[in-house]
Parts: sequence; C-alpha cells; structure tokens
Amino acid sequence: MSQENIAVEQVTAKKKSSIKTKVQRFGTALSGMIMPNISAIIAWGFLTALFMVPGGWFPNSHIAELINPMLHYLLPLLIGYVGGRMVDDERGAVIGAIATTGVIVGAKVPMFLGAMIMGPFGGWCIKKFDQLFLDKIKAGFEMIYKNFSAGIIGMILAIIGQSIVNPLVVGGSNLAAKGVAWIISVHLLPLANIFIEPAKVLFLNNAVGNGILVPLGIQQAGQLGKSILFLLESNPGPGLGILLAFCLYGKGSSKSSAPGSVIIHFLGGVHEIYFPYILMKPVLIIPAILAGVSGTFTFQLLGAGLKAAASPGSIIAILLMTPKGGYVANISGVLIATVVSFVFSALILKHDKSMDDDLETKQEQVQQMKAEAKGLKTAASSAAFSDKINQIIFACDAGMGSSAMGASLLRDKLKKAGITNIPVTNVAVRDLKPEPNLLVVTQKELTDRAIEKTPDATHVSVGNFMNSPRYDEIVQMLQEDMSKSDLNETNSKVDKSVSALFSDIDFSRVHEVSFVCEPQNIGSTTMAANLFNSELKKVEINLVAKQVTLEEVQDSPEQLLITTISLEKKLRNQVSKAQIIAVDNLLNNEDLQKLILYLK
Amino acid sequence: MELTKNMIMLNQHYDIKEDAIRAAGKLLVDNGCVEPDYVDAMLKRNEDVSTYIGNFIAIPHGTGEAKKYIKKTGISLIQIPKGVEFSEDKSSSKLATIVFGIAALNNEHLDVLSQIALFCNKVENVAKLADAQTEQEVIDLLKEVA
Repeated sequence: MSQENIAVEQVTAKKKSSIKTKVQRFGTALSGMIMPNISAIIAWGFLTALFMVPGGWFPNSHIAELINPMLHYLLPLLIGYVGGRMVDDERGAVIGAIATTGVIVGAKVPMFLGAMIMGPFGGWCIKKFDQLFLDKIKAGFEMIYKNFSAGIIGMILAIIGQSIVNPLVVGGSNLAAKGVAWIISVHLLPLANIFIEPAKVLFLNNAVGNGILVPLGIQQAGQLGKSILFLLESNPGPGLGILLAFCLYGKGSSKSSAPGSVIIHFLGGVHEIYFPYILMKPVLIIPAILAGVSGTFTFQLLGAGLKAAASPGSIIAILLMTPKGGYVANISGVLIATVVSFVFSALILKHDKSMDDDLETKQEQVQQMKAEAKGLKTAASSAAFSDKINQIIFACDAGMGSSAMGASLLRDKLKKAGITNIPVTNVAVRDLKPEPNLLVVTQKELTDRAIEKTPDATHVSVGNFMNSPRYDEIVQMLQEDMSKSDLNETNSKVDKSVSALFSDIDFSRVHEVSFVCEPQNIGSTTMAANLFNSELKKVEINLVAKQVTLEEVQDSPEQLLITTISLEKKLRNQVSKAQIIAVDNLLNNEDLQKLILYLK
Repeated sequence: MELTKNMIMLNQHYDIKEDAIRAAGKLLVDNGCVEPDYVDAMLKRNEDVSTYIGNFIAIPHGTGEAKKYIKKTGISLIQIPKGVEFSEDKSSSKLATIVFGIAALNNEHLDVLSQIALFCNKVENVAKLADAQTEQEVIDLLKEVA
C-alpha cells in the first residue's frame, strides 16, 4: 500500500499548482491515510458482520466487545498515525496518533474525519518545529530534544484536538443529521441521499443510519409493518457500482483490490470498504449521490421497505428483512442504484486524465534520473542546485556508523559557514525515501542503490565520509559562492625557493627515508610516514618512507632521517653517517611537502 | 553512553585488517554488547563496503540484518600504532591506526559517534589518539570536543 504514499510525495515534489492537481493531491493524501489501514477496517468489518449483538450472523456478546473500541479507538488512531507518518515519518506518526487521541476522547461518533485532520496536522507541526530548531541543538542533546519537543507538542495538540477540533467535527455530523431529518420532514425523501452519501464517506454512516434513520424507521415500521427509512443508508447499490467500476476501469492497487472489496461490501455489508475509493477520487461522490437518489426514488415509487434495520447493510440482511411481497421493490432499488453508480463512475474513471499524468511523471522521472547519473560523473556541482536543496541526508549500509559521522561533519561545516536552515540527517540506504529538494550523500559503492531509492534527489558520491573535499563543495554551492578556484590551490602550489632546512642535504645519495620517533609516538609517526608516502606516490617517486624508533635507526649514508626538533639532538648524537632533517611537527608539515620536490 | 576504559585496547599489532576487526568485535562481545555472531557480520560488512572512513580511522560495524545480535549499544577502540592496512589494492593506502568497533541500538551511539567524527576530522587529533599512552588519555581526548 506504500504506493499511495510515494504517489503523494511525487506529486508534492512536482509542485504543480493547478487546481486539478491540488484536488488530486488532496484525494491521494486522504486515501494514503486510509489504504494502509484497510486490513484493520476489514478486521473490524468481519467482527461486526459476524458477531454483532444483535444483527450479526453468529451473535456473541463476548467477541462483540471488540467492536466498539476498534471502531472508536483503533481505526482513528491508525489513520492519525499513518497521516502523521505521511508528513514526517516516525516522528510525525507518533505525534499524529497523540493528536488524534484528543479528538477521539469524548466523541460519540467514530472520529475518522478528526483523525484525518489531526494526523497530518500533527506531523506538519513537528516537521516545522524541527526545521526551526533541530540544527541549533548541541551534539549529544538531540535525543533529549527530540523526545521532549515531540512530547510537549503532542500534549498541546491533544488538547487542541479535544477542545477545538472535536466540537467542530461533532457539529458537522450533527448538521448532516439535521439535514436528513429536515428532508424527511418535508417529504423529499430521495434528496436525503444528498446528505447521506457524503456523510457515509466521511465515516459518519453510523451516526446518520443508527442516529436518525433507524429510530424514525422503527416508529414507521411500528405503524405500517415496514419502513423505507431503513433502506436509505443501508442500500449497498451506490457503493457496489463504484467498486465494480474500479474492477474494470481502475488502475494499480485500486483495481486489483476492488473485486475483494465487492464481496466484503455487498455480501458482508461493510460499507466502509468503499469509502477509501471515493476519498481517492473525490469526484466519485457525484455518482454515489446520483445513485443514492435514484435508488431511494425507486424504493419510494415501488413502495419498498424493510421490517427492521438491516445492519450491517449487506444484500443478505436486506433480503432477510424484506417483508413478503416486497422483494421486487427492494431488489429494483438496489439494482438501479448499482447501475446508475456504475455507469457514472465508469465514465469518470475512463476519462480520468490522471493516468496520463502518472505516465508523464514517470517519463519525467526517467529523464531526470538519466541527467542525474550524468551529472554524477562530471561533478556534483551545478550552479542551479543550491537554491533547490532544503535537506541533506547521508545514507550508508546500516545507518549506524559512517553516515552518522559524515552527517556530523557536514553539519558542523554548514554551521561554521552560517547555513543553519538545512537539516543534515543520516539513514540506512534501504530507508531512503523520495522527498522534494533532497541532497543524498553516499559512499561510491552505495550511490547506485541510493539513486534507485531516490531518483529525484541530487546525489553526491564520496570516497570516504571523513575528509571528502565534496563537503566543502557542498557548503560552497549552498552558499552560492561559486568561486571554486581556491579549493584546488591548497596543496599543489609549492614554490621551489631554497629552504634553509635542506641547504646542507645531499639529495643525490638519499635512497631510504625514515621517520624517527620515540616509542610513545609510534602511532602519529606511522601516520605521518603514510601521508608522506601517498604524497610521494602522487608525484611518482619510488621511495617508501618508514617509521622507526630511536633504537631502530640504521646509520648509513643513504639514509635520510626525518624527526622532530625535540629529538634532533639525541639523534645527532647517535648517528654519524645518515643525514637528518628536523621539523617541529611531522604531520601536515609544509617543509615536508617541499622536501618531496627535492627528492624528485 | 560514553567510551569506557574496558572498551579500549592500546598498543595492538595486527598484520591483516580482519584481525583488527575481530579484536574490535571481541571487545564488544567481552563487554556484553553483542553476541559472537555479530563479529562475523562486522567482517562481512567490511568486505561489502569498506568501513575505513579516512584519516587513519576505521569503524567496523555489522550489517542492518545483524542488529538482532546486538544486546546493548557499545563502542570499542583499538589503537594500532604501527597501523593496519584496510586497502584491498596495493596502489592506494588505507592505513588505520585507530579502529572503532560499533554496535548500535536506537541511535544511542550517535552523540559519541558525532564526537568522534568532529574530533577525528583533524588528522592531528587522530595522531594524538594514536600516540595515547593510557586509556584515560583516550577518553579525555575524545571528551575535549563535547
């Protein structure tokens, strides 16, 4: 089901601003929250259809205890969690769930709508908060910052949810209920479906059905032996038509999941299963309304009705509750609603342009990917990219070590350069997710995998995470200071002016170079010799310097001994034939760089 | 979490990088951070993608799948004054004088790692670590940056 999530992000990445895409984005976002949770809705739906007391096929009051908590707590919390995750990953997810709790508590209706508001809102809050503060946190305090900021924001959001959003949603569903009640009172029954269908899709079906229609229906049935009001909300026709249209003309996961949903919806009576399909494509509410209206109109025309409430709204329950002689009327109403809904939904789905859009975006992506791959080989630098990047992620194999260190270094460099608005984080490559305006830094070996995961991002490949010159390039690019020239100057220009240090050295007899140290400095001296050797290799000098301690020094004319000033006296006392150069510091020493030119 | 004395081994000598990685892993095992299987994962990970990160530092750690062998977060340090070669090809040298063994759960190690990274960014600082004569000296050096 992650397809939907990705789709959302791709759409955001494109930043198109037409109303059509905005509506589409909204729809994908809504269904992105619902689709991953379909299995939970099905679990609840089966429990309800099978064990509800009364009305289930095998009523069982013990198992039925599960129904309400699942509907009122589990499902909204899951939706809020996924909604938060869509905006800001795990962190957003947790905040989303906390915020959703606020709207759940005290509400009598299942708070799906509230969850769909509070989940993403919670994720958005923490994301904005992190953007403002995360990079200002001192190293070592990230954990405490993260936990407490999320905790405090979560608390505030839960209170906001409880005191502000909850009453709004409850008010909204009351309004829908009042609308239905009013329409019934003025005897324009078919028009009631204009309220009922949208209310159903927002998971207020039980509020409308059990809250208004069933009580009124029971009154009517008491007098007439049957009531049409029982059919208004429980008519499976509108949903069935939409699902059938998806079976034939849907695409991707919506198409492949539709046949199963048909069975759950039509035979199981769990209408909730088709709501996400409408949320995915909100314009489908129109076929649903038209179908509801024509279904109810048919019911009215043919004098249909049920003996009692058909709950859940399965075709089987409806037939069981149909009074003798009412079958034709009831079945016709369902059938007509199905046909109307199917025809209009199919028209909408068939002429749906977003399929072409998807194709277009795919093609764009491929092109971008190609361009990116080319850019990689030349250099990661392009003048245009600096204003696009608003997030940098280091990715490594396990997300444990190297990437974390690289991220720390770049964060530090950015801070020193005065760039504080770009967060630098690290993850394992497999956890990379496409996000807009992202810069991904990986080791050479993993760059391909990273490009696979995030084709739209800018990729920088580094040889090693610790001292890559790329970091300075990134900082520079972000500073929009494109004077790259000074980068290359640092170690190449060494003037050949005669250094006093080397004036009395006879380079012609040098065949061996040793770095001399005391036993407690073996480590640093090994490193100095190694760095010296790699410099030698760069200019193709066939000499290998080695590290020796004072006791190991060989005194021969072809030896060039390099040591520190503090050790020079001791060494000179010890040797007579070897030549000696003493410097104050063996590592990163300019004099030693010059020495290389002499050795050549 | 922080680096402790019993997680540090000074003045070691290894001919091949695998031995250095094993030693770093063994410290993690001995201190109850990981199960012995984790060490194999460290070796494997280094074969897939070198854990040498430059500046004479290697940070062997397990693969993502090996997280199940981790009992608690821990970082070990092996000092190898004479260095051990992490490079596969002869033409370029990847000599490591300091090897950090890493086992991490829930990102608890990030602050220590961040310290290490900032400190070891300067090769002079790595030199100080490579020359350190006591465990306390190592700990104090890494604390400096905090």
